[in-house]
Amino acid sequence: MANALIRPMSGEYEEYLRDESRSVGKAESISFPRTTEEVSSILKEMNEKKIPVTVQGSRTGLAAAAVPYEGHAMNLSRMDKVLSCRQDDQTGTFYFTLQPGVLLSELRKMISGKRFQTADWTEEAKAAYTAFCRAPEQFFTPDPTETSASLGGMVNCNASGARSFHYGSVRGYINALKVVLMDGETLTLRRGEQFAQGRKGTLRTDTGKEISFTLPSYQMPHTKNASGYYAEDDMDLIDLFIGSDGTLGVTCEIEIRLLPLPQIIWGVTAFFDQEEKALRYVRLIRGEQLEGCDRFDIHPVSAEFFNGDALEILRREKRENSAFAQIHDIPQQYETAIYVELHGDTEEEMTNRLLELGKAIQQAGGKEEDTWVARSQTDLDRLMFFRHAIPECVNMLIDQRKKKNKEITKLGTDMAVPDAALEETMAMYNTMLKEKGLQSAIWGHVGNNHLHVNILPNDSEEYRKGKELYNDWAAKITAKGGAVSAEHGVGKLKAGFLRVMYGEEHIGEMRQLKKAFDPQNLLNRGNLFAPEEENK
Amino acid sequence: MKIIVCIKQVPSTNQVKLDPETKTIIRDGRQSVINPFDTYAIEEAVQLKEKLGGKVTALSMGIPATQRILREAMSQGVDEALLLSDRAFAGADTLATAYTLALGARHIGDFDLIVCGRMATDGDTAQIGPELAEDLGVPHVTNVSEILEASDKELLCRKVTDYGTQVVRMKLPGVITVAKDINMPRMASIRGVRESLEAPFTMLGAADTGADPARIGLKGSPTQVVRTFTPEKTVECQFLQGDAKEAAGALCRLLKEEHLTGEEA
Repeated sequence: MANALIRPMSGEYEEYLRDESRSVGKAESISFPRTTEEVSSILKEMNEKKIPVTVQGSRTGLAAAAVPYEGHAMNLSRMDKVLSCRQDDQTGTFYFTLQPGVLLSELRKMISGKRFQTADWTEEAKAAYTAFCRAPEQFFTPDPTETSASLGGMVNCNASGARSFHYGSVRGYINALKVVLMDGETLTLRRGEQFAQGRKGTLRTDTGKEISFTLPSYQMPHTKNASGYYAEDDMDLIDLFIGSDGTLGVTCEIEIRLLPLPQIIWGVTAFFDQEEKALRYVRLIRGEQLEGCDRFDIHPVSAEFFNGDALEILRREKRENSAFAQIHDIPQQYETAIYVELHGDTEEEMTNRLLELGKAIQQAGGKEEDTWVARSQTDLDRLMFFRHAIPECVNMLIDQRKKKNKEITKLGTDMAVPDAALEETMAMYNTMLKEKGLQSAIWGHVGNNHLHVNILPNDSEEYRKGKELYNDWAAKITAKGGAVSAEHGVGKLKAGFLRVMYGEEHIGEMRQLKKAFDPQNLLNRGNLFAPEEENK
Repeated sequence: MKIIVCIKQVPSTNQVKLDPETKTIIRDGRQSVINPFDTYAIEEAVQLKEKLGGKVTALSMGIPATQRILREAMSQGVDEALLLSDRAFAGADTLATAYTLALGARHIGDFDLIVCGRMATDGDTAQIGPELAEDLGVPHVTNVSEILEASDKELLCRKVTDYGTQVVRMKLPGVITVAKDINMPRMASIRGVRESLEAPFTMLGAADTGADPARIGLKGSPTQVVRTFTPEKTVECQFLQGDAKEAAGALCRLLKEEHLTGEEA
């Protein structure tokens, strides 16, 4: 009985009204299904009663996609089982099928420790698992900074991380999905099996019901992108559901693809006395030909950026907060930092690439000695701590300011631009922040020209100015051919930006597409489409 | 100041898996690393050199591949390295190891200070530093958490004991083993790595050091490892699922089942 699963909202469940974006919503009821069948029965009931449903994973999103504004909150954190394993006969690749509530941190532990609960698996799956245990170490490449993210959440916002520079976003590692639609029907999607004809698509539910739809006609930006529906001519239709902000159906089973873990992983943080030199270094390690420089063949898997303000915040926290004492001293002349990770299989090859990095640093105007090289896990952990400490410090600062002024929330961008626009975009951020006199810190995935600009307002006036800047940037980034959300998803907070990016007409097409799967517009209402547009 | 820093190559993980038949460590493809405690020894030696001038030599006994971690030490400021490597050294316990390292120290010669990590993460004996000092006939201080004063004549250091700290003055030459809170080991720079590739490295065998065959390797070891095993897990941990109410209910049931509630059965 579905009814038993639906509980009235009460104080006990208050935490389920918010997420990491620090937005707070409301709901009348909540459920914690454990199986696809339970999800289906709840959705069916809600659909009949016309009650909006908001789906949640581990609520670590930054765009409030999991925050309910009305109706029912469906929390999938108890759908946390790994269901199966298989190995491709031809390629030897390993695949695991998981429920959406599995956390990335747990998945990583299970993969590295080869500790899966296999008691309920089929004999075939168990046999594949035995092969997995004997095989060289494997890994799941997507690495969002927030490792307590759930796999369902990662699929629905097409999550990325530092290593996506080389490996790409989560999209490339999703091989199959089982999705429950708002009317309780289930769809099984396997990569390579269902394709669009041009921009027209048809899918059949597991009971044979046919759903026909038209994909939006826009061209997606040629950047890292998590803004709106994935739409391309003749596309694989599984891609429509990845990065759809949960608006088309509820992801209940996910088949992920693993890769063999490289034998050697090294990290290098390089410091520069000018931002300009750091950006030059980024272009060199991307393999671009710059005047007067060599062309490099280094292939880093990530390239991360930290600006002077971010380093300054870290210096201060290191002095004042013992939790950050283990960070190495950052000399005052270090103005910008770039973290690069290298994956490889032999020591010799890795050493050569490291020496090439040194050359690139010098040709960009930096010094080989202004680097931190991590070749052991301990040192890699140190560099990782450094990288994670910056957003953490900024969140702490925001929380302090929020105590004084409730209105203040985190203002962090997630926009990416094409390669050519890297320097001009940085210059735009720097100039406009300076003009407005706002405190900020910039860091992020510079390899993909994808930076998180975080504004730190002191009062309501600055907060308002920051929001204005943010809107302004959405338009300017779009004009440069960029994406308003590159990895966090659109959720509720960035719906306005999506309209700026794609315009009314395309938003209309997206709404039509959603209607094919959710005619009453009940599922994850407010995600992608701003509330004022809901009734159009 | 002429400083020797002793380092050991250990498996990179503390979750070592053992082959159930041979009882040897299963290498999982991950690399070996410098014993984490020795990284503090390297940093302290390099800091002393930077303050007082002189030279730091890294010393290790191990398989030829140990060259890699010695070069790593050289990328962090160590000037040169000596590796004692010979099949005849294999199977050494702490006494034979200390004897062998003492031969190495004598070969380097004329040292003021030897710095060791407090212990190795694979053997956990913490015996090498003191045994090495005894073999060389010099004083030693273990578990040093801070060097308060240093010259090439003597060292004033703070040592951690089970009951607090002691401040000890030691005449040099001598040996110290360092605790892990003594410093924050630096990370190598690319320049350091590049220079380490060409830094002076010497490898010597038993005959080169004039070792007494009866005092090295398995033969020179009065103690032997009879069996290595992973301790059996005796405590089971159970996670209670559900919301607060459900979990509390489950906990109550469990406590009652185990007769831990203080109620009469």
